[in-house]
Amino acid sequence: MNCEEYREAIAADPSGRLAGDDAHASGCDACSKYRDEMREFDECILRALAIDVPEFKLPGLPEIEPAGGERPAVAAISSGRRSRSSFTSPPLWAGLAAAVAVVAVLFIGLPDTHTDHRQLVGEIIAHMDHEQASRQVTSIAVPAGTLHAVVDRKVAAMNRDVGLITYAMSCVINGRTVPHLVIQSNTGPVTLILLAEETIDSSIPLDGENVHGVLLPVGSGSIAVIGQREDQLDEIDRIGRELAESVEWSI
Amino acid sequence: MNSSADVERRQRFERVVTALHAVLYRYAAWLCRDPHIAEVIVQESLLRAWRSLDTLREDDAAKQWLLTIVRRENARYFERKTPIMVDIDDLSPTQSAMIAATGEPDLDDVREAIYELEDEYREPLVLQVLMGHSTKEIAELMGIRQGAVLTRLHRARLKLKNSIDATGCRTMARDSG
Repeated sequence: MNCEEYREAIAADPSGRLAGDDAHASGCDACSKYRDEMREFDECILRALAIDVPEFKLPGLPEIEPAGGERPAVAAISSGRRSRSSFTSPPLWAGLAAAVAVVAVLFIGLPDTHTDHRQLVGEIIAHMDHEQASRQVTSIAVPAGTLHAVVDRKVAAMNRDVGLITYAMSCVINGRTVPHLVIQSNTGPVTLILLAEETIDSSIPLDGENVHGVLLPVGSGSIAVIGQREDQLDEIDRIGRELAESVEWSI
Repeated sequence: MNSSADVERRQRFERVVTALHAVLYRYAAWLCRDPHIAEVIVQESLLRAWRSLDTLREDDAAKQWLLTIVRRENARYFERKTPIMVDIDDLSPTQSAMIAATGEPDLDDVREAIYELEDEYREPLVLQVLMGHSTKEIAELMGIRQGAVLTRLHRARLKLKNSIDATGCRTMARDSG
């Protein structure tokens, strides 16, 4: 190994693993000095890379379905591997299942949308309880970088003049990471939770302790608009309408 | 899934990710160069890891497995966005805080120089110096050949040396040692 090869190897890995047994450096003062400098330099790099780490927050972990219950039909369709013939000749059990479903709807009635979304609504209300501190009256806007980091992945467009945004955090609701914002409205802080992947058919009221609002359908997703008092409901309705008109999902 | 199996699964997951959280966050932060985006990427990665925990056969392999998930999540995060050239003089407050939070001007200079390195040089350097990865492990994670890893590491250090006052850096290393 000559000096050039040794220095290249040391610059690629100052530990010397690539430069063999250091036989070259032991007989070459210049390369020995170069190696020591590179090792000192790596200590600097290590210290520089060790940036502060925020407190660890484990996301809310959704229930995992047992093996075999993982929606294989959806996976097959989305991967594009399902053959044409499998659509043209559905198995007998599929026809029977469809017939049973039709009869069930006729006799039992259409499914209750609100009941279907009980878990989602429950998680939103519980989340509000956890994050009471987010709903402070303040005039300090959240930094643009924070807002960008929290919102932009899920939302392609949104009217950000809807109010002063004073809180932005990525939170986990119903197993999905979603933007949680707080705006300062004319009647006090109002929470917005942007649920790009939660489809609902119609508005669902959200009521709990210090929770008064609505979950609105917006395109293929939904938005929760939540105040702390019942007398904010008119304001919530206005904000909800403005947002519903302006929001476009990225997903 | 019965409740005891679910509890065991959750305990295993918590044990694995708690031990590796700092590593994952720093890797994500140096990939995307924004602390807030890094937090989002780590949270998304943990959810993905939770859903596919059963594919992790041995906990000893968790670090490489989770780093791979973070790397993919970072790529997903930016796949819909136009790549943005970061101007070091026009950073957001959180980006600035990432490179100037030590109170040691020399260390801040090194951090700034790393921040300005191109992705292809910064990533293998982070993996080698911060994560202790071998060149083989870096090659596997980045999907490139070992020879390319060595070239990038060599060039990364030379680029850094050229942009940093090496004297200051040596003093820092002695002080910390």
